[in-house]
Amino acid sequence: MQIRSGRSLTPSSLDALDNSIIDILRTNGRTTNQDIAKQLSITAATVSARLQKMEDARAMRVVAVTDFAALGYNVIIAVGVKVQARSVQAVGHDLAKFPEVLSVNIMNGRHDIELLVALHDFSEVQQFLYDHIGSIAGVAQIDAGIAVDIAKYEFNVAPL
Amino acid sequence: MTDTSWQRLDALDHKIVSKLALDARISNRAIAAELGVTEGTIRTRIKRLQNEGLIQFTVVTDFRMAGSPNLCMLGIDADPSRVTEVAARLKMMPEINCVVLLLGRFNLLAMGLFTNIEQLNELVVEQIRSMPGIQRVETSISVHNLKYEAGVAKITRIAAID
Repeated sequence: MQIRSGRSLTPSSLDALDNSIIDILRTNGRTTNQDIAKQLSITAATVSARLQKMEDARAMRVVAVTDFAALGYNVIIAVGVKVQARSVQAVGHDLAKFPEVLSVNIMNGRHDIELLVALHDFSEVQQFLYDHIGSIAGVAQIDAGIAVDIAKYEFNVAPL
Repeated sequence: MTDTSWQRLDALDHKIVSKLALDARISNRAIAAELGVTEGTIRTRIKRLQNEGLIQFTVVTDFRMAGSPNLCMLGIDADPSRVTEVAARLKMMPEINCVVLLLGRFNLLAMGLFTNIEQLNELVVEQIRSMPGIQRVETSISVHNLKYEAGVAKITRIAAID
């Protein structure tokens, strides 16, 4: 869910074999090296070496994605933040420290920062928005939208 | 959002989930050894969590591999009677990664990753503004990402696990 993080490093480009391994893992990230090897008619050692190489280059990562509900996050809020009298970057870094804040993006638009916040219970909303986020220096205005349904949430590209 | 699946996870499930969050490819045997249960128990538990859409294992590739796209957020207002239908149509669009129905700022928040402005403009003007019932589309572009948790999401598609 990003963008440019200012990293100049370019990833070594992936070849057909790397992409075949990625395709198998996209379907099931826990396919064993042995099973991948069998499907691609190569050795498990080759699979292991390729995965290591891609992870070292931060080109890809196999992730366990846990559902919001499995973690007890029942309230998801999209919060737009306007910043005044402080650098947007500094405010963003402070907001990123809250574990409840799942994503922080600096925006070009009506708001300076967009947050995705996950809370366990509706009773936490007031305290989190007004006491925690509201107390960060530079936060001049917050506009919250409470999620009533998440119809799609598929990011297979992210800043690694 | 009022799902009670959280209660369907017991203490052992939570321990397994935390191990997997650190290393998605850790072997069942290694988890079993660390938690002092059998490998079969771990296998059964993980399979159940996958089948119930509580956990999913996938690959995330770096932004650079996709041409360093920009995350664009679309705040959408629509006629109340059309919101659900608009959400369903947005969900079908391959360019859109995320669709959330909201109360408050907008009726809908959609997100997509774009490598050029023309592509974004085409989507908004030709495909979204033209949908029946659309009142307003407000576009905002992320210029820098400071945080993103790849390990937490809404699992909307349950993969068939054998």
